[in-house]
Amino acid sequence: MSSSELPRKEANVLKGHEGAVLAARFNSDGNYCLSCGKDRTIRLWNPHRGIHIKTYKSHGREVRDVHVTPDNSKLCSCGGDRQIFYWDVSTGRVIRKFRGHDGEVNAVKFNEYASVVVSAGYDRSLRAWDCRSHSTEPIQIIDSFLDTVMSVCLTKTEIIGGSVDGTVRTFDIRIGREISDDLGQPVNCISMSNDGNCILASCLDSSIRLLDRSTGELLQEYKGHACKSYKMDCCLTNSDAHVIGGSEDGSIFFWDLVDASVVSKFRAHSSVVTSVSYHPKDNCMITSSVDGSVRVWKT
Amino acid sequence: MDSDEEDYVFFGTPIEREEEITNRRKKAAAEASGNLRALPPWKQEVRDEEGRRRFHGAFTGGFSAGYFNTVGTKEGWAPQSFTSSRKNRAEVKQQSIFNFLDEDEKAELEGTLGTSSQFDTFGFTAAEHARKQADKEQKQRPSAIPGPIPDELVLPASESIGVKLLLKMGWRHGRAINDSRASSLYDARREARKALLAFASEDAKAPCPADEPVEEPESFTVQPSDDDARSSQSLPAFVCNPKQDLHGLGYDPFKHAPEFREKKRLHLLNDKQRGDRKTMSIKDSLFGSKSGKAAPGFGIGALEEYDAEDEDIYAAGYDFEETCIEDDEEPSRLGIESKQPSRLSIESKQKVVARDQGVLPGFKVASVSDYQLERFDPPVIPKDFAPHHKFPGPLETLKKLDVPSPPEVPPPDDSNLKLLIEGVAKLVARCGKLFEDLSRKKNQSNPLFSFLSGGNGHDYYERRLWEEHQKFGVQAKLLLDGKLSPSMQKMTAESRGKLLGEKPLERSSRETTSSSVASGEFQLQFNLSDTFKKPDSFSKLPEVAKPFKDDPAKQERFEQFLKEKYEGGLRSTGYTVASNMSEAARAREKLDFEAAAEAIEKGKRGKESMVSTQPLDFLASGMQFTSGGLEQVENGHAEDLVTKKMYPRREEFQWRPAPVLCKRFDLIDPFMGKPPPAPRARSKIDSLLFIPDSVKVAKPEEVAITNRDVPAAQTGAQMTIEDVAEEEIEIVAENVERPVDLYKAIFSDDSDDDVEDLNTKKVEDPEKKTEVATTALNRLIADDFLESLGKELGFEVPPDTPYSTNKANALRIETPNSDSGNAKFSTGTYLNPGNETAQDGDSQKNKSIPVRSGGYNSSKHTVGLLNMSGKVNEDKFAQEDKKVKSPSSRQRNWSSSSSSDDERSRKHSKRHRHRSSGSYSDPSSDDREHYRSRSKGKRERSSREKSSHSRKHSKHHKHRSRDSPSRSHRGSEREHSEGRKEKRKRRD
Repeated sequence: MSSSELPRKEANVLKGHEGAVLAARFNSDGNYCLSCGKDRTIRLWNPHRGIHIKTYKSHGREVRDVHVTPDNSKLCSCGGDRQIFYWDVSTGRVIRKFRGHDGEVNAVKFNEYASVVVSAGYDRSLRAWDCRSHSTEPIQIIDSFLDTVMSVCLTKTEIIGGSVDGTVRTFDIRIGREISDDLGQPVNCISMSNDGNCILASCLDSSIRLLDRSTGELLQEYKGHACKSYKMDCCLTNSDAHVIGGSEDGSIFFWDLVDASVVSKFRAHSSVVTSVSYHPKDNCMITSSVDGSVRVWKT
Repeated sequence: MDSDEEDYVFFGTPIEREEEITNRRKKAAAEASGNLRALPPWKQEVRDEEGRRRFHGAFTGGFSAGYFNTVGTKEGWAPQSFTSSRKNRAEVKQQSIFNFLDEDEKAELEGTLGTSSQFDTFGFTAAEHARKQADKEQKQRPSAIPGPIPDELVLPASESIGVKLLLKMGWRHGRAINDSRASSLYDARREARKALLAFASEDAKAPCPADEPVEEPESFTVQPSDDDARSSQSLPAFVCNPKQDLHGLGYDPFKHAPEFREKKRLHLLNDKQRGDRKTMSIKDSLFGSKSGKAAPGFGIGALEEYDAEDEDIYAAGYDFEETCIEDDEEPSRLGIESKQPSRLSIESKQKVVARDQGVLPGFKVASVSDYQLERFDPPVIPKDFAPHHKFPGPLETLKKLDVPSPPEVPPPDDSNLKLLIEGVAKLVARCGKLFEDLSRKKNQSNPLFSFLSGGNGHDYYERRLWEEHQKFGVQAKLLLDGKLSPSMQKMTAESRGKLLGEKPLERSSRETTSSSVASGEFQLQFNLSDTFKKPDSFSKLPEVAKPFKDDPAKQERFEQFLKEKYEGGLRSTGYTVASNMSEAARAREKLDFEAAAEAIEKGKRGKESMVSTQPLDFLASGMQFTSGGLEQVENGHAEDLVTKKMYPRREEFQWRPAPVLCKRFDLIDPFMGKPPPAPRARSKIDSLLFIPDSVKVAKPEEVAITNRDVPAAQTGAQMTIEDVAEEEIEIVAENVERPVDLYKAIFSDDSDDDVEDLNTKKVEDPEKKTEVATTALNRLIADDFLESLGKELGFEVPPDTPYSTNKANALRIETPNSDSGNAKFSTGTYLNPGNETAQDGDSQKNKSIPVRSGGYNSSKHTVGLLNMSGKVNEDKFAQEDKKVKSPSSRQRNWSSSSSSDDERSRKHSKRHRHRSSGSYSDPSSDDREHYRSRSKGKRERSSREKSSHSRKHSKHHKHRSRDSPSRSHRGSEREHSEGRKEKRKRRD
């Protein structure tokens, strides 16, 4: 993908959230997107037509992260009320609430089979919750982190968490090992490359680092944006050619994956860009911001 | 009766008979005498003089009160009859508190003395005073209609007609309008009492009515109903407070927080004094969070409190807090500015006022407004502007500069004329055109001066004149320039250098290293010194004499060093040459340089003396330090790299996923078949043992891999019947041993220490080891001897505890079964400690040894015992002994090697050890016993997958056993066992 095909044109603005939008995520096929924010709601949108479809209200405080199952049937969300909500997408009802985190929950993800929800919390732990059973107890608590866990990624066999203690820890379920990669800087957000070989870790020293997962080697650093105090997402394009990251001044940065040069940069929002999500197939991107809008960008 | 009660079971409560009542009475009397006293209060029963229970439970009559638990009286209860006739009207009964008081209460009330406000002149005057104050305050208050106009327009009547009338009727200010006569009908005593009563009853509700209007100006005091008592009370002055806030009618934000009311009042007062109106943001005090930064729009529930986590970290666009902050800032800012009475402060003050004046409360000034006054900055006066005008010399000369140069003409042949022309031209140039005219006029007749008027040599004169002008003009201009702008020196370093004929400095084209600043500086100095000094000797160092030629930067530094050492000239003051180097590296380098310079010097001298072109031999020695220096430099670089490369840092830990998690991820549990991790710190010993395990990190990957492979191999192989059999015993064993285990855990006895010593400190102190061994031996030898004797005689010595018989029986059952596995396992390589199957095979083999050797009844199967018996019966079973000994010693060696993973065996076989130790009635186990127990434990471990052994730990131990000390350990262990054998022989 050449840099000309980067999504830089604003296709739609999804407005409806009051106050900051804290996360915006495509679903697995990229036809819909979800956003959640300070107004305690989760909203389902069709980003391509710019339509608001549904609002999910039940959280007691701000919603920090949301994830949808590959079959689009269930949602999980988490937030300041220290609970993980397991939703039914169509009815909008909460199927289950998982309580147990001792602090706000920063991130939440389904596993491949949508049978487990893994959440990352302020209480320095990752917790795995079973969606199949009726138990509301976590089936696994990983508490080897030394500080707030900000972000979590799941593969088929691993749980990866990024924490403010500067580590990205990979928990391999197959071999029962924990691999800790210390980056020395608080990790804000981690995101997997599409080929699964690399981890992109956004650090609070205003740099995004690319790590080789097998060796733990630092492959590249991407700089130029401002990321010092907010939880901001980063991601890779679906072709893994570019790294995308938001900035605290509302800009979006595109870096070349290999030589770490800023390929493109434009001002997308008036305030902090909290989240970026890239379409799984098309050249399309959604960004969310503290200014309360979710924007859809296309080429 | 009493005896009967022993035999029968009674249901229900027996009907009381007359005799029982008397009985009860007696009983009551007896109990009253002191029997009951002993009982706790809740068991004591209150009885009346009849001996009946006075108080009952809710279902047995309740509190016994009134007349036989009725509300009536002896006469019975009769309602008041209501009668009313025309003549005799039923009077409306005024109920007073006395209707409901008992006699004693009435007496109490009447007995008390008190003051009546009627006679309290001070109280009355105080009330009057308060009222007046209230009036005054009301006058100060802004009227209901805001603005100053009504006060001036509306003149209130001094006294209304009503007031005048009342005054005429004897009413005084502050008095209630009441029929005061009526009260006089009552007698004073009763009145006073009644009043007192009222006060007493309403004490809390009506606090000192006289003060009320002042304290609570907004609230209306309700006039109490009992009028005559209040006749003396002053009429509350109603103060109308205009509504100034934005609350709903009747809403009092300070209802439950009166302290804020005071605060607000003060605030308002301050505002008034300052003269500008301020809006108090109550939000700040009431709803504001600690940091005053709550997310706008999304308040949390009324019952929840704001927390740190509710702060709005994303500073949102609409900012309520702005106004409050301004309020807070204002006084301080003003205070500061008023202290410095400068124009600026006034300006800013005005600005502040201006900013605040246009702003309605609840609004804030737009940061970006469409309408903006256009402002133009004053022109910037150049720094070098001088307010006085100065004419820059003769204008014409300067003007002349612009005149195009006349063509170059050869000077006239006449040298006199030429001189004359030149002189005149110079003069003219210096003095101006005037001189030319003058001289022309003067020398009109003189043919010599014909060049002035276009005669011979005029061209040359023109040319000369122009040249002179030019020269003069330049000088004048220079002067002018120097005068006008001293900062702008025409003479730069370069030009001066050119004037002086110096070689211009050239920017070095040599590659500059990482620290460009330092190197630039260095280059400059280098060049400078080059210009002043010609270090040809060193600059032309032969290639061989450049010891650091692989590192040009260093070579440069070296040359610089040489220069400094041998030459004069400029020196870099702080040796700032390589500021990127650490102090230590610099020092080292300097030493290197020193050595190199010396070598070069030597070489030179040698060259001079020998005049031979042989390569310097310092190179041989010089290579050393150069290489060393290089290395050090590289080290320095490496350090930098290390600090840079410290991150990312990878570490690996053990992590155990929950089985359910594995299931949900559709993966095979890597710890499948392993027992769940032991609960934390089950006992003191366990916690001690666990800590190093959990702390231990960075195991090689292969361990994990081999480990991963193991379970599959294991699960299939090791479920033999024997294991099942043993498991059954195990259950029994657990029950029996717990207390002992606990005891041991608490009082970490020397047996544990011994084991630890044996396994960990063997190499270090063989003395202690042997000592321990001997003591242990001494302890056991008696038992073993007995046992072996029994074997010798062909019968079994009954073990001393019933438990161990149980075990022995079980073992006897086991052994034949173990034979089945024997063939398979005997081939196992015993030296591979990482392979558990091999281990198991060995233990199996170990067990099977007695069977094979045939000489022993298999009551005891452990190696130690086996050996022991073998030793004891040495002469008799010489053959067998030999046969046995070789495998057993081998076995021992192996087991000793595996005993390096003592923790595992100790931890997991502790139970077994204790059991076995119990069977030998010797709680402190020696190492031989330990062997037995270990081997047993091993077997058990292999068999009982879900028993107390965790793979994790075994892995750790395996890993440890692989470590370097393991071999020596093994060797020492072997030695140790051999030595022990010898010792035993000696004893025998």
